[in-house]
Amino acid sequence: MTRNTTKTAANTSGLGRRTFLATSGAAIAAPYVFTRRATAQNSEVVVRTPGGAYDDIRREVIYQPFEEKTGIRVVPVAATAAKLLAMFKAGHVELDVIDTGDDPLIQLDKLDALLELPYDSFEYTDPADIIPTYKRSYLVGNFVYAQVLGYSTKAFPSGDEPQSWGDFWDAAAFPGARMLADMASGSPNLEFALIADGVPMDQLYPLDIDRAFASLSRIRPAITKFWDTGALATQMMADHEVDMGSIWHTRVANAIDNGAELAIQWNQHMGQVQAYSIFKDARNLDAAVKFVDFCTSPEIQSVFCARWNAGPVNKKAFDTFPADKIDKVPGSPALEGMGFALDAEWWAENRPKVSEVWSKWILQG
Amino acid sequence: MASIRDADRVSDFDPAWLILPLALMLVSMFLLPIAWFFVRTLQDSGEGFAEIVDTIWTVLTSPAIRGSIVITNWIALVVTLVALLLAYPIAYMMARSRGVAFTLLVMCVVLPYFTSVIVRTYSWMVILGRQGLINSLLLWTGIVDEPVAMMYNTFAVVVGMAYVLLPYLVLTLYATMKGIDPSLLRAARGLGAGGFYIFRRVYLPLTLHGVFSGCLIVFILAIGFFITPALMGGPSDVMIAMLIEREVELTLNWPLAAIMSLFLLVVTLVLYSIYYRFANIERMMG
Repeated sequence: MTRNTTKTAANTSGLGRRTFLATSGAAIAAPYVFTRRATAQNSEVVVRTPGGAYDDIRREVIYQPFEEKTGIRVVPVAATAAKLLAMFKAGHVELDVIDTGDDPLIQLDKLDALLELPYDSFEYTDPADIIPTYKRSYLVGNFVYAQVLGYSTKAFPSGDEPQSWGDFWDAAAFPGARMLADMASGSPNLEFALIADGVPMDQLYPLDIDRAFASLSRIRPAITKFWDTGALATQMMADHEVDMGSIWHTRVANAIDNGAELAIQWNQHMGQVQAYSIFKDARNLDAAVKFVDFCTSPEIQSVFCARWNAGPVNKKAFDTFPADKIDKVPGSPALEGMGFALDAEWWAENRPKVSEVWSKWILQG
Repeated sequence: MASIRDADRVSDFDPAWLILPLALMLVSMFLLPIAWFFVRTLQDSGEGFAEIVDTIWTVLTSPAIRGSIVITNWIALVVTLVALLLAYPIAYMMARSRGVAFTLLVMCVVLPYFTSVIVRTYSWMVILGRQGLINSLLLWTGIVDEPVAMMYNTFAVVVGMAYVLLPYLVLTLYATMKGIDPSLLRAARGLGAGGFYIFRRVYLPLTLHGVFSGCLIVFILAIGFFITPALMGGPSDVMIAMLIEREVELTLNWPLAAIMSLFLLVVTLVLYSIYYRFANIERMMG
């Protein structure tokens, strides 16, 4: 009796083990197998986006209209620069369009990962209308944003506000808690440090790293926090944890729209661009090109940029831009001569070096 | 009869097989990717062995990384001690209480554990901030004229991390305290020992293993912390995980990131093996 039972049990366990191994093996492999080729090519386009409120607006003014017009579904996904790089290196590119800052795109282009954009085949956009700075072989601008001097109107009422980075660096004349960008945000504010030290806006690059850090050291005692994400920067300004700081203008503008007691000093703002690239090995290549083409068209540029408080890359978009917003976005005629453009190429080249200096400098406090 | 057969079958099935799903999951989703990460990144660095040695040398000699390692260990140590001081009385109360009181205590300890770390960290900002609850109260009562800096410094990091890690310590200590035979305490009292004496000579020594293993868990978790120091820390509260993240995401120097993570992994494993030894001794004595 006992022996029989033992035998049965052993058999069961032997069978079970094999079946079990096979089943669990399949279960582990399944996600890799089934996510690929699940849909017909070019019936959708997978786009890397930063997500959040940004995506909510884009779903309404870009993704849905695009889907109605072309029948192509837009699938937004989150991915960091490192993930994009890992995908490419593993030869397993899961998305088509990358919507991100120009910095990671420069890095990806160096690895020859990006498609040379077929501007000639654009239908919705006349490539000649795209501002030349934002049109390169492997990337095209999405929108223009700026890093600005944001300040609290509670701490600095109209008339007493800081006028320049020189004022920001003058803690005696403009007392109050401050924040600047951390290395982890992408790049610390070496440009603003140099401007505060007397370097003219048009002679910043190549940046004098030592001089910039010496300047940063002078204002450091007044810095509450170096922010690493736009979310944290916005939170700190909106909660009045700091009275002024460098911050992405879109974030302050959106906070002001929501009633925050903040303002933007446009003088000496630093323009940056969010851009599109397409992976060379993208699965939905045609859909991807069509999507980028659609996004850079004057209508979409004007509608989206007005909602996101950003500057368009298509100059035609200014013709239909809402009057109450047009003076408050980078690239608008009203702000002409008040800013400079961040040199992403310089940063791509020198970021590791700056990161090293930063790591030492930050621990000295 | 039938019930005996069932019992036989259950005991004949080697329960070690039950670990298989977990083992498969760990191997395929944890060990293999880690091995892949190290091999690939080191291969990527191209120059082979010399390059790897070079990278290790960079990690060992860079003042920034060394500084960060010191800060990481220091913060983890302080967090562990703070968490211990808070957790010990809580665990003691839990071990002594019953019914509604016990349920309430468990809920207070465990519920925050189900909330995301980011949410918990942001709530500290509301409490400790320049215009936060505590500062508003202090200013309103006139105890201070200027807001006290409680956010964006090492103090805030310690508070935030100790709070997040508290449940681990409380639950470990609770398990130990629950296992103490109350008759030992009664015997001590019967022999004429006073309250504090009993605690110092009988109760505390009996909980030391729990204290030690709980502290190790908290310390191990603390040295890998990332979100709380990034959000609540001051400029120089740079923990090692933040440096690794920057090398992965920003400078895309993966070989360096791989070596730094390897160092962190080795330290963690060494600590874990100590923990394992103590856990074993505890079982042997238990």
